[in-house]
Amino acid sequence: MSQASPSIRRMSSAPGADPGPDFELASAFPEVTWLRRAAAAADWAGIRQYHDSLPPGTDRAFVVGVLAEDDGFEHALRRQLAAVPNDVLALTVLGTRLIEAGWEIRTGARAKNVSREQFKAFHEHLREAEQLLIRATALDPSYDAAWAARLNTARGLSLGQNESRRRYNRLARYHPHHFTGQARLLQKLCPKWGGTWEEAHGFARECLLTSPDGALNGGLVAEAHIEHWLDLGADDKRTEYLRQPHVHAELVEAAQRSVFHPQFARPYGWVTVQGSFAALFSLIGDTAQAAAHFRALGNLASDYPWSYLGKPAEQYVQHRDTALRGRR
Amino acid sequence: MNTQNPQDGQSTSAATIHLTEVDGIPTLFAYAPGPLRAGLVFRVGTADETLARAGVTHLVEHLALYRHGLADYHYNGATKAAFTHFHVEGAEHEIVDYLHGVCGSLADLPMERLETEKEILRTEESRRDPGQLPLWRYGAQGYGLVSYPEWGVRNLRPEDVRHWTGTWFTGGNAVLWIAGERFPAGLALKLPPGARRPLPAVTSALPTTPAHFADGQGGVLLDAVVTDTTAARLYAGVLERELSRALRQEDGNSYTAATDYTSRRDGHALLTAFADSLPAKQDAVLGGFVDVLAALQAGRIAQADLEAVRTRADAGLTAADAAVRRLPGAAEDLLAGRPPRGLDELRHELWSVTPGQLHAVALEAAGTALLQVPSGHSASWAGYAEAPVRSTYAVTGRRFEAVAKDGSALVVGDDGVSVTVRGRDGGDLAVTVPYRSCAAVLSWPDGGRRLIGTDGLAVAVEPGLYGVDAHTMAVLDAAVPPHARVQLPPRQSAPRAEAPAAAPAAESGGAASPARRTGGQTAALVVLFLLGGLFAFIALATTVFGHDPDSSTGEWLGLSGFLWAVTGLIVWPAVRILRRTRRA
Repeated sequence: MSQASPSIRRMSSAPGADPGPDFELASAFPEVTWLRRAAAAADWAGIRQYHDSLPPGTDRAFVVGVLAEDDGFEHALRRQLAAVPNDVLALTVLGTRLIEAGWEIRTGARAKNVSREQFKAFHEHLREAEQLLIRATALDPSYDAAWAARLNTARGLSLGQNESRRRYNRLARYHPHHFTGQARLLQKLCPKWGGTWEEAHGFARECLLTSPDGALNGGLVAEAHIEHWLDLGADDKRTEYLRQPHVHAELVEAAQRSVFHPQFARPYGWVTVQGSFAALFSLIGDTAQAAAHFRALGNLASDYPWSYLGKPAEQYVQHRDTALRGRR
Repeated sequence: MNTQNPQDGQSTSAATIHLTEVDGIPTLFAYAPGPLRAGLVFRVGTADETLARAGVTHLVEHLALYRHGLADYHYNGATKAAFTHFHVEGAEHEIVDYLHGVCGSLADLPMERLETEKEILRTEESRRDPGQLPLWRYGAQGYGLVSYPEWGVRNLRPEDVRHWTGTWFTGGNAVLWIAGERFPAGLALKLPPGARRPLPAVTSALPTTPAHFADGQGGVLLDAVVTDTTAARLYAGVLERELSRALRQEDGNSYTAATDYTSRRDGHALLTAFADSLPAKQDAVLGGFVDVLAALQAGRIAQADLEAVRTRADAGLTAADAAVRRLPGAAEDLLAGRPPRGLDELRHELWSVTPGQLHAVALEAAGTALLQVPSGHSASWAGYAEAPVRSTYAVTGRRFEAVAKDGSALVVGDDGVSVTVRGRDGGDLAVTVPYRSCAAVLSWPDGGRRLIGTDGLAVAVEPGLYGVDAHTMAVLDAAVPPHARVQLPPRQSAPRAEAPAAAPAAESGGAASPARRTGGQTAALVVLFLLGGLFAFIALATTVFGHDPDSSTGEWLGLSGFLWAVTGLIVWPAVRILRRTRRA
């Protein structure tokens, strides 16, 4: 059993099967390679210039997530903050890095399988992160990446459903269709974090209906169904759940409004969303729909949702092959 | 920023405060149209008392005003933390009469009223709700005493009250202020001689700040100690606007957001802020509150907010009754050795305040903040340390395990008492009250004791719960300082061993301060009393009107008796809650 890591969905290369699925983030977004190198070299000026010149509407939580992937950058971030305490970007990257480090200690296991020491270190990391991020959002309440990170601290520190909603609303004042922010609130609205399925599905649908044509937000409908499917546990219950006609209809509608819309432009996060549709249609048995999503993916993959199904690479290959064979 | 500096020559004479003297007592006079107003202010208040004598100043204030009971002019008395005010409004001869009367009464208090006024104070106390912040900030001493019930009143003897009056309500420790069209003729203030008293010592129960504690269901409260400046006063106004905007208008989770600014007259002031909360939205109100403070600490202070608050403050300074409003504070200042300040000076300061100065106040307030969050919540995630709810050590001595075998124990040592519980990490958690810093020992005739340390932490010594023998209790009684003893009347029920829920708050490591009433208990109280009231009414109606000729007297008596019994059964648990807890 796993829970989505707060970080951007980490992709790891999976050697072997030919043509094996490509979990490398940089394959979908080549700028990731540059960002990682800049972080490793602590090229703060270059990073800032890149970050500040991103077009409006870019999900900057993705960029910050890449910068926060590696603990090697932490020292440089602390040095930067010692020199410029009000550097919002540095506050946010360091905060995000600490969340990432905290979650690595906690692991994605269910709470009952996490030790007291793990929780203690996890919470300490999150508290430090939160205080950096409080300052970041105080200095710049319009900064999406900081609010998106604070949705993760709110979840990890169990601050309550209303507080997560409030943070999301603060984000949405400036970024009404922020995919990463919405995905993080959606996690909090799931029963495993104290929410209900009604809230989770309701929020996903609201995101879909209010989103611009061809935006990524419809992917949340798929994510809600995957979370629900996973939570049911027993195979027969899961199958029964996905076989409900309304689930299929909702997925078709959500895909058409998002990844299959003519204006869809493959923004950050699209591999995960398209993969989620592919996985769900495959699980439902609609191989035609699944095949269309797999073809759109090429061989790109992300851990989520495939880690929910088993070993990500194996599951990806198995479902893809079934789907594409079904079409033949 | 001097955007506008209306030193426009408005009639400043109306607001000029003149310093003079009446019978050697410093007197502040300001011209004001309308009825004459005056106030006699003493440098004494709750913070000068001890927990075991808490309420004595308030009692003196009541006794001093008793003889005015039927006067038809408007008068009042107020006991504050460090000052006591006697205030009057009326015609010239009424003012003179009142002040003569107050001085006369202070010289010769109507002791025949002592017991009656004690009862009145108890009634008043049930309506008083000063909150828990002072207790947590200052402890069970000095400025923290305003949080506590007036436990000292019950045991005060006439000679105690006379001694207190003779020490504090003296000519040397008083300042008079008068506002009117002219200075009243024939005014004399005959007060016993005495020295001007320094301000109460500022104590602390907080090892680190910013800090927080969880209590009650009312919302989020904050207080902070800041340097007493015009900028700080304006900051309080800006904070109120920001809280209202964010929590009420934007988030919609609060109905009321308010701030207050009270000068301590020692160069510092206490800034308080409050936001109420819908019960289901407490987490979001807390989050929003933290973010409002953070924004101000980050220097995001809107010029428009500053201007709005500044304009309001200036209107207050230049209003027709401005001097009247300033005089009570100026009198307090004078008692604290701070001469009155001119209106021009105040307005100049007001119009010189910049957003940068407000930012500095925000940072100062952040460093000294104490946050009260609703029960079940925490603010450690936002960097507010947990205020102490237990002691750093336990005394060594005779150990009495809880009869209920819940793992807690009472330790009676030579230097103090401790209650220990087993913590979740296996170590012992303790609450300790050393005898030498015991603010009060509440004693019930059934043998129960409650020791309250000056740090505000308390240990309940219930012989029945821990099987403490009579000899040990006698040793303990002899060890506590006599001046800390408070005899209380019999309790409805002493905690008993078969009711482990009544054991000291072990789970939370709590036991700081009197058992604070929980939200659930308060709700239960309301419901039970409402139901009880309804049944009492029915029972009363049946008793009085229910004896109709068609039914027998036996039936009538039976029905009445039954209804009264039901009323009693409903009200009984409420009374138990009321007796065992105090308002959160």
